[in-house]
Amino acid sequence: MIFLRRQLPLLITLVTGLLFAGQYYVPHPASEQMLTSATKWLQIIGGFALILGVTSLFHQHAVKITRQEAGWGYSLVLYAGMLGTIAVGLWADGKEAVDGAMTAFGWVYNFMMVPLQGTMFAILAFFIASAAYRSFRARSREAAVLLVAAVIVMMGRVPLGEYLIPLSGDVSSWILNVLNSSVRRAILIGVSLGAIALSFKIIFGVERSYLGGGKE
Amino acid sequence: MTFAERMLTIDRRIIFLVIGVCTLLPLLYPVGLPIKISSEVRGVYDHIESLPEHSVFLLSIDFDPASKPELYPQAIALLRHAFKKQLRVITMTLWVSGTGMADQLVTQVAKEMGKEYGQDYAFLGWSPGGPAVIINMGQDLSSAFPSDYSGRSTKDLPVLDGVRSLKDITYMVSLGAGKPGVEEWYVFGKDKYKFEMGGGCTGVMAPGLYPLLRSGQINGLIGGLRGAAEYESLIDQKGKAVAGMDAQSATHVAIIVLVIMCNVFYFSLRQASRSQGHIG
Amino acid sequence: MDATVFGAWVATGLTLLIFSFLYKDNPLFKLAEHLYVGVSVGYTIVKTYDTVIVHLVVKPIMENGEIALLIPVAIGMLMLARYVPKAAWMSRYAFAFIVGMGAGLAIPRTISSFILKQIEDTVRPLLSLAGPDGVTFSMNLLNPASNLNALIILLGVGSVLFYFFFSIEHSGTGKAVARTGVIFLMISFGAGFGYTVMARMSLLIGRLTDLIEFSDASYGRPTIWLLIFVVAALFFLARRGHAHPPDTH
Repeated sequence: MIFLRRQLPLLITLVTGLLFAGQYYVPHPASEQMLTSATKWLQIIGGFALILGVTSLFHQHAVKITRQEAGWGYSLVLYAGMLGTIAVGLWADGKEAVDGAMTAFGWVYNFMMVPLQGTMFAILAFFIASAAYRSFRARSREAAVLLVAAVIVMMGRVPLGEYLIPLSGDVSSWILNVLNSSVRRAILIGVSLGAIALSFKIIFGVERSYLGGGKE
Repeated sequence: MTFAERMLTIDRRIIFLVIGVCTLLPLLYPVGLPIKISSEVRGVYDHIESLPEHSVFLLSIDFDPASKPELYPQAIALLRHAFKKQLRVITMTLWVSGTGMADQLVTQVAKEMGKEYGQDYAFLGWSPGGPAVIINMGQDLSSAFPSDYSGRSTKDLPVLDGVRSLKDITYMVSLGAGKPGVEEWYVFGKDKYKFEMGGGCTGVMAPGLYPLLRSGQINGLIGGLRGAAEYESLIDQKGKAVAGMDAQSATHVAIIVLVIMCNVFYFSLRQASRSQGHIG
Repeated sequence: MDATVFGAWVATGLTLLIFSFLYKDNPLFKLAEHLYVGVSVGYTIVKTYDTVIVHLVVKPIMENGEIALLIPVAIGMLMLARYVPKAAWMSRYAFAFIVGMGAGLAIPRTISSFILKQIEDTVRPLLSLAGPDGVTFSMNLLNPASNLNALIILLGVGSVLFYFFFSIEHSGTGKAVARTGVIFLMISFGAGFGYTVMARMSLLIGRLTDLIEFSDASYGRPTIWLLIFVVAALFFLARRGHAHPPDTH
């Protein structure tokens, strides 16, 4: 039973990991066909993974409603929004527009989802300004360097900045293309090395936290 | 409480009001300052300009409504340019919540440019899996997308004639707001299937994509609303991006002034406490 | 009432409800926030069902006889076993398959794209220093491909990589290199902050553009009427003492 619960999953990870890492270097048609089929399967399984993320949300708010905990009215609004959108979506066969005419599902998307999502992120503009005012202080040499670079780039990236100080455009372009790109390159290399190390740890069973589910 | 201390602990809603006014006024009363074109944006523009008619152009609209203000104008400008150049345009998305918006955007621009669905352009829709979709498209496009967004078999679409996989794409641009986006299209797409590609992204993502731009892995980068405004200027069809640049200028100057003020008050407080330390 | 005009009123109302958070956290904002989550999740479910079940599974099986697609469906169902306590261990097979495949696919591609190619591009420009005409050195700072900039990039990449290498002590020459790395990092983060400010402001510009569009008479001026309503509602709520003290951090 331990083999089925612990060792077989690790074996599956090892085999699939090595198989698909090696596949990259094998151009044989059979290898390419295996990749095509496997990635198609991965697409379908990816769809089920999306459902997984959603079920915990269902459960959390259902509990709130049944126990009538504080704020359960809002959970009711969430459920109403979700079930209403699903009903309207299934009725429209998942299409936002049919022959150029907007469906009810399209209406919900365009006049509810788009403005809600857009505005949730738009209010960040106010918070970044407030945070910049409160905490963007040149407390040290390094902070001062960060501040100066930020100001140059903010000036150089807008027409008014380039109009008032023409050099700011060229300097901000140099900062982005040379200084910034060298740092981001180093970070990219470092992070990629870390990701590869983690991938190897997962394949060889050193890292097992992804398994989750059940005891052991 | 000294003036500097009072200013440093000011109610943040006053700052919100300043930002709100700086954004609203230029939108209502635009000035229209000239926009300099950067080499990053020119890279994408020049490449599309150089493509012969009926080349296959793939546009992946990898963003959701949260990034609409920055990337929607980029998409519109790119599509207008591609349609003007008589390219065969294939569009798709890797972000589920952006599907409706992508469909609407493509339909709107195609209608404006008098293009026919299936003949001149197609919208494949969304498929789950991110990198898996890219690899699958690289192996066999009809396996990743057996049908387009309206349910028509992709094998029957004239615009996809001769396009069996990503290897048959002439040029590809990913407009990405995160993962999956430009990086995934390179790693899982261009690296193996060797098509030329450019990128568009939000302002948050842009600095992180410069290494790919410098190494030639992407041949151009359209960054944020400013990039969209530059592209609109290049194709000589000014839209929402150019209209937003004045507000962008005003808010940037407002933030710079706020940051300078904050530092002036901070340093004056520090000076005062140091001189009190000397006296005491 | 025309669906578009009604939609304009709903969109404007929801936008202003979210913006009301800027005054203080209030029931109007919470209502809009929960509605946002509900509608987003509902949309994702519909799209996933339509794309995955209908177009990627059912249609290919019914029309083209691709029975093999039942295998990934079975694996997907195994994943859902996570929620049945006694059978939760079976979900491990699904995760093992996905994670193993994902790791395997990523390794060679990441090495090729983000390590080899990036190192190649850092070093290759230096080769152009010694050409058939002897050593040449272009100093144009404004051209990112010039030799001077290539040296600066090499310095940046090297010093930042060294800074993050904590296995050896940063002392002596190492300390100087690490401090150079820190300066490069600060400049890069400053540039990143500048671009982030640009991005956030652009999002706000986008929403305000829509609000201005919806203040037009053809829609019945929803922006103006709903703004008055929201301000009045916030005033009423504040008087009723529902609000929390303003957050002045």
